[in-house]
Amino acid sequence: MRFLTKIQLPLVVLTILALGVGLWLVLTAPADYQQGNAVRILYVHVPSAKMALLSYFFVTLVSALYLWRRQETYDILAEAGVAVGAAFTFVTLASGSIWGKPMWGAWWAWDARLTSVLVMLILFMGLMALRNALDDRIKAARATAVLAIIGAVDLPIIHYSVVWWRTLHQPPSFAGPAKQAITGELLPPLLAMSVAFVLLGAALLVLKSREVAARRQWEAVETERLEQIHE
Amino acid sequence: MALLTVQDLHHAFGRHRVLNGVELSMEAGECAVLLGSNGSGKSTLLALLSTRLRVQKGHYQLAGYSAAQQGEEIRHRLLFVGHHTHLYGHLTPLENLRFFADLHGLPPQPATLAAAVAAVGLQRFSEQPVRWFSAGMRKRLALARLLLFQPLLLLLDEPYSALDVQGVAWLNASLDRFLQQGGMVLMASHDPERLESLPHRLLRLQRGQLSDGREECPC
Amino acid sequence: MPLLILLRATYRVAWKDVVGDWRRRATLSSMLFFAIAVLVVFQVAFDPDRQEATRLLPGLLWATVLFTSLMGLGRVFQAEEEDGGLEGLLLASVPRGVLFFGKWLGNLLLTVLVELLLLPLTLVLFNVDVWGQLPALIGVLLLGTLGLTGLGVLLAAMTQTARSRETLLALLLLPLTAPLLIAGVQAMAGLLDPSLELGSWMRLLVIFDVVYLALAPWAFGWLVAE
Repeated sequence: MRFLTKIQLPLVVLTILALGVGLWLVLTAPADYQQGNAVRILYVHVPSAKMALLSYFFVTLVSALYLWRRQETYDILAEAGVAVGAAFTFVTLASGSIWGKPMWGAWWAWDARLTSVLVMLILFMGLMALRNALDDRIKAARATAVLAIIGAVDLPIIHYSVVWWRTLHQPPSFAGPAKQAITGELLPPLLAMSVAFVLLGAALLVLKSREVAARRQWEAVETERLEQIHE
Repeated sequence: MALLTVQDLHHAFGRHRVLNGVELSMEAGECAVLLGSNGSGKSTLLALLSTRLRVQKGHYQLAGYSAAQQGEEIRHRLLFVGHHTHLYGHLTPLENLRFFADLHGLPPQPATLAAAVAAVGLQRFSEQPVRWFSAGMRKRLALARLLLFQPLLLLLDEPYSALDVQGVAWLNASLDRFLQQGGMVLMASHDPERLESLPHRLLRLQRGQLSDGREECPC
Repeated sequence: MPLLILLRATYRVAWKDVVGDWRRRATLSSMLFFAIAVLVVFQVAFDPDRQEATRLLPGLLWATVLFTSLMGLGRVFQAEEEDGGLEGLLLASVPRGVLFFGKWLGNLLLTVLVELLLLPLTLVLFNVDVWGQLPALIGVLLLGTLGLTGLGVLLAAMTQTARSRETLLALLLLPLTAPLLIAGVQAMAGLLDPSLELGSWMRLLVIFDVVYLALAPWAFGWLVAE
């Protein structure tokens, strides 16, 4: 936790700079000859999708570490990772939807990627709901850690079952947003935004972890004070 | 080496420390009574010894088996009767005992089960669901599990509560026989007088540590 | 530990749950009536003719099974609440995975019993004449139920002490069973219409079953190890 406190400020400053550079590149890049200005949404959509997946991977990792080592730090990181991941997943779905309306003529298509990301959002929500619904801190930590691992096993199965479903049942009518070939002019803004989003993810994780840790400490102090009054 | 050894056992619930370096060793045939005020950690210690809680820091061994790795072996060699009786209301006494026997890998012997039910004076009710039983009857049935096998360690949490005079007499006689056969008994109890003539030593749990129970604390 | 002891312990846990349910007439009847109610809702909502009903049948059946199983899963660990039942189970000297398999087997038996009654009932109520396929349909249903109850019992253990646990159980179970629902519905559609794919969906069902029945006992052990 002390380490997080130290890197917090430089990380936040760096994130703001990177986001500034990234957004400037995105807004000054030429419009796509097929997609027009809608292509600019992808510069947000693609990095946030990657970050959403990375967040889930991170949550699974710290959950496994928690079950193995039983150190509260891992649980704090898991709780923070879920919140950050949920935010990225939501941005992914919203930006995909906004992009899809002019491109596909529909807000939503049941393709494998979108469906998997939607399930991932529900999983993140489920992890939050499960944690909130269990009063015992240690029980909540264990249950959410196990659920995260179950979800990590389920996500690929969901992805491939939807892929099969779409290809066997009816031929895919849409290509997902990320499937477009990325060529010369698109690359610099995309790279800049990817770097900025990785930094953003790290910064949010640090801030959220510290908030979670502080809240838990406050709750512990409050409980102790109440116990003393009680005695 | 003693049959049961506990070294430097610590336990905390979150930031709330309950046990703070408990040391204990017991030999075959020994009976110990655990004293301590409410919230002193008696139930936590019993839960740790029953492997219901996992050891966070320190060591606990029963007959050479370590709680950290060989929980199943330890559970196979102990019986825990606490505040809860772990009885299922819709099952009869016989069925409840059979459930216990099967979950502890004991050989299925209907005669032993029936004898255990009879020994605690419940044979008249052996076909009735436990749901209708009084607290004392439930307690007797929970303790009847002791007659199904010979564990190394018997952990009891307030065993005398809800028992009538006959129940207490039966329990003390059973404990006596159990100790004679080399079993160990560790019980948490507020009134050690109920043990009557059973030889026992007193242990006091205070500020997370065990000490000789005869030294009364000033509190 | 000898296999016989493990099997006997598994059987005893399942036996305790099924017998308990039978004596209290608790879960089985409410699951069945709930299933009928869901079927009525579907009939009223979609009002399908015969042809439509045949096409909709797989989806209707699986949706009904999913909702109905939620009802049974909500009660799996209720029996362990009276007088410290779960604590007692955890004091057993058999491995925790055995406890899971026992709870799973009990729930599986109840769910399958409901399904065996539900399937013919659906064919009658929706007036679908596929009686020749009945054994194969039951086979697909059973194959899916193995994984469904496996994952479900694990999630039931996870949400056992949670506030508003039934809602939470549904929130967690429904998205995670998406592959099962897809594969189960498609496999049944493949049975009813030979021009559709069947083999890969059966494979997917098997994969789902194997993955969850292999993972769940371990996960249950982590879940209850304090």
